[in-house]
This record gives sequence, C-alpha cells and structure tokens, in this order.
Amino acid sequence: MSAARSFRSVFMVASCAGAALGCYLVSLRVASERAALEEVETRIVLAQRDIRLLQTEIGTRGRLAQLERWNVRVLALSAPSADQFLEGGFQLARLGRPEPTPAVDAPVVLASAPAPDPQPAPLVEGESGAVGAGANQSAAQLMREASFKIPVRETVAMEEPIARPQPRKPVETASRQTTRKLTELTKPVEKKTVRAPVAKAPAKTVRAAETGPAAKGKKAGDKKVEASVKPVTKPVRLANVDPLAPLPAKANSKRTAKDSGSAR
Amino acid sequence: MNAPTPALVASRPERLRLVGQRRQILTMMHQRLMFGLLVYGGVIAIIVLRILYLAAFGDHAGAKRGLTALVPERGDIIDRDGQPLARTIDAWTIGLWPQKVIGDKLNLARKLAQLMPEKDEAAYFAMLKSGKSFFYLRRRAAPNVVEAVNALGEPGIALEREPDRLYPQTSLAAHVIGFTDTDGKGNAGMERAMNDRLADPAMRGQPLQLSISSRVQQALEHELLDAMTKHSAVGGAGVILDIHTGEILAMTSLPQLNPNAAGQGSPEARFNRATLGVYEMGSTFKPFTVAMAMDAGIIKSFGKMYPCPGELHVFGRTINDTHPYNRACSVAEIMKESSNIGSAQIADQIGGKRQREFLDKMGFLNAVPFELRERGRPLLPGNNWGPLETMTVGFGHSLAVSPLHLASGYATLFNGGVYRPPTLLKIGKGHAAGKGHRVFSEQTSYKMRSLLRLVVTEGTGKKADAPGYRVGGKTGSAEKYYNRSLLVTTFAGVFPMDEPRYAMVMMLDEPKGTAETFGFRTAAWNVGPAFGRAVSRIAPMLGVSPNKNREPDMSLVLPFVHEDAKH
Repeated sequence: MSAARSFRSVFMVASCAGAALGCYLVSLRVASERAALEEVETRIVLAQRDIRLLQTEIGTRGRLAQLERWNVRVLALSAPSADQFLEGGFQLARLGRPEPTPAVDAPVVLASAPAPDPQPAPLVEGESGAVGAGANQSAAQLMREASFKIPVRETVAMEEPIARPQPRKPVETASRQTTRKLTELTKPVEKKTVRAPVAKAPAKTVRAAETGPAAKGKKAGDKKVEASVKPVTKPVRLANVDPLAPLPAKANSKRTAKDSGSAR
Repeated sequence: MNAPTPALVASRPERLRLVGQRRQILTMMHQRLMFGLLVYGGVIAIIVLRILYLAAFGDHAGAKRGLTALVPERGDIIDRDGQPLARTIDAWTIGLWPQKVIGDKLNLARKLAQLMPEKDEAAYFAMLKSGKSFFYLRRRAAPNVVEAVNALGEPGIALEREPDRLYPQTSLAAHVIGFTDTDGKGNAGMERAMNDRLADPAMRGQPLQLSISSRVQQALEHELLDAMTKHSAVGGAGVILDIHTGEILAMTSLPQLNPNAAGQGSPEARFNRATLGVYEMGSTFKPFTVAMAMDAGIIKSFGKMYPCPGELHVFGRTINDTHPYNRACSVAEIMKESSNIGSAQIADQIGGKRQREFLDKMGFLNAVPFELRERGRPLLPGNNWGPLETMTVGFGHSLAVSPLHLASGYATLFNGGVYRPPTLLKIGKGHAAGKGHRVFSEQTSYKMRSLLRLVVTEGTGKKADAPGYRVGGKTGSAEKYYNRSLLVTTFAGVFPMDEPRYAMVMMLDEPKGTAETFGFRTAAWNVGPAFGRAVSRIAPMLGVSPNKNREPDMSLVLPFVHEDAKH
C-alpha cells in the first residue's frame, strides 16, 4: 500500500503523459487525414483547371465562326424552310401515306399466264368463226375469278391438279357466279384439253384454233405442256407477290408445284 | 524583514519621514516586480495558448493555400445559354533580362530572331546591349515557341505565366463584349462597363451572363457580313431585341473586330455602329409617325386619304417620292410605297410639340440608357425644330439615332406600346426587366401589325419576307448628310407579326448597286433580302415556329390598297 501510495504520483504523471500522447496521436492522425483531403481537393481543382483549359481550347477551335466557314465551304447546309416544320404528330403522320390496301371485295385477279400473242394471231387469220370460238373457249377456260372463298378453291385444286387456268381479263362477278363458272371449268379439265390453252406457245394456240375446239389439240399439247410448265410458273410467281390477291395466288402456287410434279 | 524597527522613542520628524519613504519605495518595487511578472507570465501564456491552438486547429506545415477554389483573375463572360464569350487563362509570357544573360549575345540574338521573327537579329542584339533591365519579348506566346526558347537554356530569358483574357468566339459579338488592355482592365464594351464587377474578388467567381445568344448573334453577323461584302458597304450594324423584356439577343457592328487583338483592328472596326453611331434612319421612321397620328386621334382608319401629288413644296423645300402616286392615297398606301409626301403631311398634322413628346417618351431624344458606355447621343434639329423639320422627321430625316434606338422604338411600338429600356444582361433572378412606361395605346400597337405586314407582303419590303415567319417591317434608305450620293439603308422589322416577339434592325452603311440588284442600292435591294434570310435562320432558334396559315388581321389594311397602285 505504501509503495503504491508512494508511486501514486509517478502513476499520475505516467497516465497524464499517456493521455497527452494519445491525444497528440489522435490530432496527428487527424492532421494527416486533413492533409490527404487537401491533397485530393487540390487535385480536384487542378483537374478542374485542366478541364477548363481544354474546354476553352475546344470552344475556340470549334467556334461558331469556324463552323460557319466550314458550312459555307463544304457542308452548305441552309436554314430549314417553313414547310419542313411540323406542328405535331398528326402532321407527321400525314406525311407517311400508307400503301393503298385492297378493298376486301376487290373483284379481280388477273394472273395472265400465256402471252398476249396468241390472241392477235387468230384474229389476223380471219377465220372468225372457228378462231373466235376457239379463242372464246380458251379465254373462258383461261379465266378465273378472284375469290376469297378458299374452301372452294381448294376443292377445285384437288379436282383438277393439272389445270392452270389463267384469267385474262378482269371479271367482276359475285362469288356465287364464281362457283358456277368453276364448275364449268372442271369439265374441260377432265378431258385434259385444258392444257392446250394453258400452253403459252402461240403456234399451239393457233393450231388449236384451226382444229376447232380445244379438245382436238390435246396430242400436240402433251409435249408442249412440259415445255410450257416452266413459263407457267413465272406468272404464278408474279401473282404470288401481287398484293391485290394474295389468297388465290397462294392457291395457284401450291397447285402448280403439285401440277408440275404430276405432269412429269 | 526589511521593515523598519519601530522607534521606542519618538524619533525626529525627518527620521520618521525617511522610514515612511522607504516603505513606500519598497511597496512600489513590489508592485513593479509583480507587474513585470504578470507581463512575462501573460506573454508566455499567450505563446503557449497560441501554440496549443495551432496544435489543435492550425494547419500543418505542408498545407497548400490558394488552390482550394478555382477563382479566375477576372470573371468570365457567358452568353444567355452559358457559352463562354470571354475567359481568363494562363498564358506564357517570354521576357528578357539583358543583364542576366551570360552566353554569347550575338548568338542569342540570332537564335531569338529565328524563333520570333517579328524582330530581326539586329533589334534583338540592340536589346541585349541596351543595358535596360527588362523587355517583353512576347506575350501570349504559343507553347511550342516557349518550349524552343526554354531549350536555349539562357538564364536571362524569363518564361512566366500571367493571366490573359481570351475570347474563344473571336470576333463574335466583339462590340458587345469589348476587350481589355494588357493589364486586364476593360477598355470597351461590357468589359469596360462591368469592369468593377468582373474584377471584384467577391464576384468574379460567378460568370457574368449576358442577354446575347451566341447562335443568334452568329447568324445575324454572318448574314449581315454576307450582305455587306456583296454590296460593298463600308459597314453594317444589326440589333435583335426581345420586345417584351428589352433584352438584346444579338448586336453586331461591322467591319468585324477581333477582341483578342483589338489593337490590330482599325478604328473603323473598333467603332460600334449599333450603339455609338447615329444615322438618319429614313423611312423606317414612318410607322412611328403613323402610330403617333393614330394615338393623337388624327388617323382613325388606314383608309384616311391624303393628297399625294408628284412633288410637295413646303417652306421652300421640295419633298419627293420614289413611287409618286399623283392622286389621293390612303394611309395604307402611303406606308406600302413609303411615300414621303404622305408621311410629311401626317407629321404636319401631329405637330412639332406632340412629335417631340412622343419621341422623348420613346427615348429618341437621349442616349439609350443601358449598360454599354458606347452610346451615341441622337442628333436632333435642336432649336430649328420648326414645321419643316417636323415634316422631315416624320419620314426619318433631320434626326439621327443609333440602330439600337430604332430597334427599341420598334419594340415599343409592337409590344403593346410600352417603352422598356434595352439591356445586355440576361433578365432573370439577379436582374429584373427595366421599368417601362406607356407610349402608344395597345390598340395602336395592334393595328400597326397589319400595316407593317402589308409593307412586306405588298410593298417595298417584299424581299425581306421569310415565308412562314410573318415578317413585318419597313425599309429605309437615307442619304448621308455630308454626301447626298451615299446611302444608309436600313430594314427594321418585327416577327412573327401576328404575335410580335422580336424586333430586328439591320443596317448597311454606303451599299453600292450591283448587277444583281440592277444598280439599285435602296434598302429593298440589299438589306431587305439579308433581313429575310436572317429571320429564316434566327426565328427557329428563338422558338418561332413557321406557319404559312397565320397572318395578322389584314382586313384592317387590305381594303384601302387600290389595285391600280400596284407597281
């Protein structure tokens, strides 16, 4: 106890010194932190100064007078005219005209397959009666009407896989009529005469006209058809992209694919 | 211890006195000692406290000062969108201390002449030999030159950085911004007008924001410069005002001046034509005359007729028209074909006193009260302001004002009739719009729209039209008073006319006729087309959307324009 008492003053001094040292260390630590912070701040200011310098340089190099000079010499842009301004979304929408969409009851599809040549030829020949009949008949057979009634089409396609009737003129008819004519069409198909009119070659059509009704030209047709299968596919492809009658075109293309296979 | 022993016997009075004195001396010495102790103790305490304070709160030895914030030597100037128009940067300066040069002077002079060829070898050698203490070799030196000079390794050459004023947009709005001298003191323009504000250490951290829009300024300057070169004019001026606030959106004076090297510009280029120059503005004054007459109740409709003979003889003078009517003509026709004769008669009816009052209210009799120091005082007829002068002032002669006056007058006429002082500082939080006062009635202001639109759609200002932007305005071609063969052509206009927002004045000084204009050199042929082009460039920037279906109420004027009057 006495020893402790006698050393008390020493302890006091030591603890005071320790506390003071601790405080000093803390303040030293704070000071060094502060110095680091200042260093960062200084760096920030220096960076800002550099940014400012660079901005000034860029601004000077890209000054408006310089841009104007470039514009006058090279770009030649001019102020937009009054017509180039739009008031709002409606005016903008007015600028873009949509593709004219086909009316649903658009009457016609003309997938003209065999060339227009055959027709003048018979007319020139002068055999009006026979030629006329042949031409009429072939025309009637060639004719096919547009219709969105797919089921009817499909059945037709199934029934006559060979026939490639190409309607030549626009025919305005109701779908009722279409069905009636389709039934008419199916008849010649069975006789396989249809191929003759379908064939593109003008000479053949002429022959058909000479021989009378299309039924007689069937032997000549057999060979020609094979040749004419290729040309036939072309108009079909055209019809495929024809926006006016997407459905019949599709039906046609399917049919031709099958046809060519079966014909061979 | 030193206390005197008490005398047992009564001592002699002198002895007693001596004892008393001693005591007194002793106490005094004590006091002095104590005082000295306190003083030393106090000093030590102060030192200790200071040391403690510094230890606790003071900076350490390595602390850096002065870089905690980026405050330029002189405040920046920016435009209304924040684009810098003037900045202070650190530039290199190359100096020479001839007495500190240690190398071969002739050799050094030779090398300096190679690097900085603005002086020859002999001149550098003379400098080195002169015995003077210091020369500036180059201020604002390019870094590569500084590098090369530094590579000479001569201790007598001083390379220093000093703050330097840079105008990044070079000649753009040079007359508005002004320039500084080598000591960085404002010498012209806003640099001079706002010198205290820009140099104030408390304020210079904040940039000074002008009402100028640099894109609009550029468009105006370009179109005006284009017209000036095309028509070989000696100068030009242009002003665009926001008519509701009085803010100057663009103001230019040509020929151009590069404020980075203002000293190299000619006095002609340093002259601010837009504010300091005063010119007779010619026919552009006529709308004021008509408006005055409407406000005074003289003209109630644009259909009021005046006799318009081929010549008008008054007070020994003859007034002519470029498009004589030789018949009675309506006010609408007078304005459409810019008839001096008609305007003179209207002015005569107004009378000199009323005319002066109106002009005074519009600020045409005094310098424009705004920031720049370069403001011209109008030239007035003064004491000679008689009936003849009243008539000539009525069509813009005998009274010379600056283009800024004119723009301000048009702003007054079309913002509803309220005069507002123009300003070059952006209207906003720190700067409110100037206090206005009414000059014309609102109705007059409204009716005038269609009249000035008529001038552009049907009359002399056709070439100034910018399709869709509803420009209304008036041409003006005045002869110079010292040489009647020289013209000052002006176009003052407002757009969009159905709801006016901006007033613009363009002026060409002494334009010449060209083949393209068939030799004509009146405003309709030179400054008019430039005005139209400028509007079609500037209006979209200012948010005026073009619309070909909108017009002011033209039914006020069209009935009074006779078909046969068309030329």
